[in-house]
Amino acid sequence: MSETISTEAFQVLLDRAGIRVKPEHMEEMRSAFMLLQAMRERVRKPRGYDAEPAHIFAPMGR
Amino acid sequence: MTGDPTLLTIREASTLIAERKLSPVELTKACIARTEALDATLSTYVAFTPELALDAARAAEAEIGTSGPRGPMHGIPVGLKDIYDTAGVATTAHSNLLKSRVPAEDAFTVTKLRESGAVITGKLGTFEFAIGGPSFDLFTLPARNPWDPARTTGGSSSGSGAAVAAGMVLGATGSDTGASIRSPSSLCGLAGIKPTYGLLSRRGILPLSQSLDHAGPMCWTVEDAALMLQAMVGHDPLDPACADVAVPDFTEKLDETVKGKTIGVIRHFHETDHEAAPPVLAAIEQAIAVYRSLGCVIKEVTLPPLMDFAAVGLIIMSSEAFAIHEADLRATPELYGEIARDRISMGGLLTGADYVQALRRRQELCAAVAEAMIGVDVLLTAGSPFPAQPIDNVPKWLMYQKPSITMPFNVTGLPALALCAGYEPGTGLPVAMQLVGHPFAETTVFQLGHAYEQATQWRATRPALLAA
Repeated sequence: MSETISTEAFQVLLDRAGIRVKPEHMEEMRSAFMLLQAMRERVRKPRGYDAEPAHIFAPMGR
Repeated sequence: MTGDPTLLTIREASTLIAERKLSPVELTKACIARTEALDATLSTYVAFTPELALDAARAAEAEIGTSGPRGPMHGIPVGLKDIYDTAGVATTAHSNLLKSRVPAEDAFTVTKLRESGAVITGKLGTFEFAIGGPSFDLFTLPARNPWDPARTTGGSSSGSGAAVAAGMVLGATGSDTGASIRSPSSLCGLAGIKPTYGLLSRRGILPLSQSLDHAGPMCWTVEDAALMLQAMVGHDPLDPACADVAVPDFTEKLDETVKGKTIGVIRHFHETDHEAAPPVLAAIEQAIAVYRSLGCVIKEVTLPPLMDFAAVGLIIMSSEAFAIHEADLRATPELYGEIARDRISMGGLLTGADYVQALRRRQELCAAVAEAMIGVDVLLTAGSPFPAQPIDNVPKWLMYQKPSITMPFNVTGLPALALCAGYEPGTGLPVAMQLVGHPFAETTVFQLGHAYEQATQWRATRPALLAA
């Protein structure tokens, strides 16, 4: 997962999400997204198939 | 009574009320007068309701006169962050999107506060939807810090922080998804607790991120926070995250010795992971010295890097927030302020896999913190890495640039108390620390916070604005 993203690729992500960004905010949003990219990388660790997400809970009555 | 009743703590005021030496009406009128004098400077309220407050104060006074107080909150003026639903009074999240929204019912915690006899004074400003601020493009201006009105209160419970510090109310509700009780409590010199996830109902509180959102009180002292939390607590079967646990008396340990308690200092959080400003670092060292003098055992605790918690928290918060706002952001983005719109929009750029990987990492972080807390009564770190910043120069993407020092305890759900640990030399701005306990061990957190307040003089200082 690259931490950089082109303006064109960023626009594709915005379009897919249905988000309109004011032109004057586009560059700062893209810069912030690159910081978010690093966080996406950070939460990915080598894990086994059985690594559960948080908030897995016992069914009622068990 | 003589003196200014708005400077009383909840404990002091409730004692005087019970002894018939202070009238709830007199106290409420004093808070109203303080608000009328300072609200133009501090922009605390989005909906100030003095007539409703006086009606409630008169009712409290009559009841107390005939049958005594229901408890320590009876007749005490409190404000509500404007994401707590109030029947018949607009609840807007400080957003143009909800400017005309009037709920039919109170939030569960508001019902509890009314049952305690608290006098509700109105709805306090917030960062828009508890995420966007300080914003100057909403229908009222952002709250300003009573210690220096050119500075931010922190957020998102911004009006709550300002109103309590300014003596407009004796307590206020906040909510905390990543910092929003503890940041304004830290920057405004208050005691504010984000309780254990599930202790307080979230029903009727506008959500930002359901798996990270916590309700809680913000007050002048730790003891007051314990008293107000007691009034807000109770199992709510209609909130699926609300835990059905036995509720202790949160004040029961306040006067017990803390000798022998073990405090785990997370030095790497505030010294390297997000290096705090020198006055904050100095205050933390002084606080450690105070606890050592009280007989506490001090040990150093190492947790996973702060950025790991920040990444998990931001991905979860952004994803859940976008899911809540997706339709409105697409249909009417112009009804959001710029900061809320842009921050929430970021969640739309994440994937389902990002969200689940963050949840898997969350599980690992919870396990790591639980293991590190074995043999430790509370953890200690900074409440905020810095004192209040100029209100017109708060970086929009700060949480992306620097890891939040409060987010770890939203990710883990542990109870975390922010409390004043002194004042920055020169500016007089408050600095703060956090005490973090085991799940549902709020009484121990309050015990250690109260012991520190009793051993220091910080609660004797109020903002200079109040003397003007």
